[in-house]
Amino acid sequence: MPQVPGARTEFMAGIRAFLPMSMSILPFGVVCGAAAVAAGMSVPQAMAMSLLVFAGSAQIASSQLFGSGAPWWVILATGVIINLRFLMYSASLSQQFAGLGRRWQAVIAYLLTDQAFALTSMRGGTPSNRRHLHWFYLGFGCATWLSWQTATVVGIVLGNLVPARWSLDFIVPLTFIAMLVPILDNPALFCAALAGGLAAVFLVLPLKLNLIAAALLGIAVGLIVNRWVERRD
Amino acid sequence: MTDADFVAWEIIVGLGGATFMIRYWPLAFLSRADLPGWLKRALRYVPPAVMAAIITPPLFFIGTAPTIGPDLPRLTAAALAVLVAWRTRSTLLTIVLGMLALWTLQALSS
Repeated sequence: MPQVPGARTEFMAGIRAFLPMSMSILPFGVVCGAAAVAAGMSVPQAMAMSLLVFAGSAQIASSQLFGSGAPWWVILATGVIINLRFLMYSASLSQQFAGLGRRWQAVIAYLLTDQAFALTSMRGGTPSNRRHLHWFYLGFGCATWLSWQTATVVGIVLGNLVPARWSLDFIVPLTFIAMLVPILDNPALFCAALAGGLAAVFLVLPLKLNLIAAALLGIAVGLIVNRWVERRD
Repeated sequence: MTDADFVAWEIIVGLGGATFMIRYWPLAFLSRADLPGWLKRALRYVPPAVMAAIITPPLFFIGTAPTIGPDLPRLTAAALAVLVAWRTRSTLLTIVLGMLALWTLQALSS
């Protein structure tokens, strides 16, 4: 009979799996904290955002929109569109975590990130890992959560200290470049990014609706190119 | 509480609640079922479209002015960062080399 790892072993494995990821999560958290402060949010607000939303891309986008004076419903709708991808992750994890209680489901939902989804799905691919997979997820999620909140505090402090002429706001596009480039591994994804990026600059829309429009346009272009490629094959 | 303060809290609480529901709903109520195929296909393109749309505006809008024009130091530094991200796949290197490039270009052009 194969050895099934225990709950504590799996929790620790989750924490260990986080370590290489920290290289991308930590700078992103710092950027999010700094962006919230730069947009004019107070320290408690910036902290509350990080605690309640716990999703970097949506935090950055809503901070920037808030700073530029967009109406609240545009900011909310933009954030929701950006976070819709969690529907996909959550649906996929519902197969892996069927049978867990409501409290576990709530904790798993709150701690859901791109990285947690990717690593847990990969680990759940091996049957002997499935029994305590929720403990692996919890270990990874707790490590991510603690680092994220710490990094946000650092960002809030730095954001208040560093003078504007250092151009540290440029870390936002750089962080996203570092996340975006490695995932562009097929023509449809590449065209979705290209369309989204160009539309965000050249669409001139009232009420700061550019980001939502660019996202929807990018999704549409991705779907169309994907259909072309599938038809050609 | 000022108006801006109120809007900020509205966004934080609203987006926090909405994001939790997006993360919770399929996990809690979908067990055994699945999302429709068209939605799954569309959701695959959310990350690249959104990330690109966050990257490009600061490379083209100078300050908060509504005029569109390439901000050359930023555009060049970003192009270099894309190259670094592509070759190394390292977040840290992309950020460090990108910032160094921007500072160098800004020093040269001022």
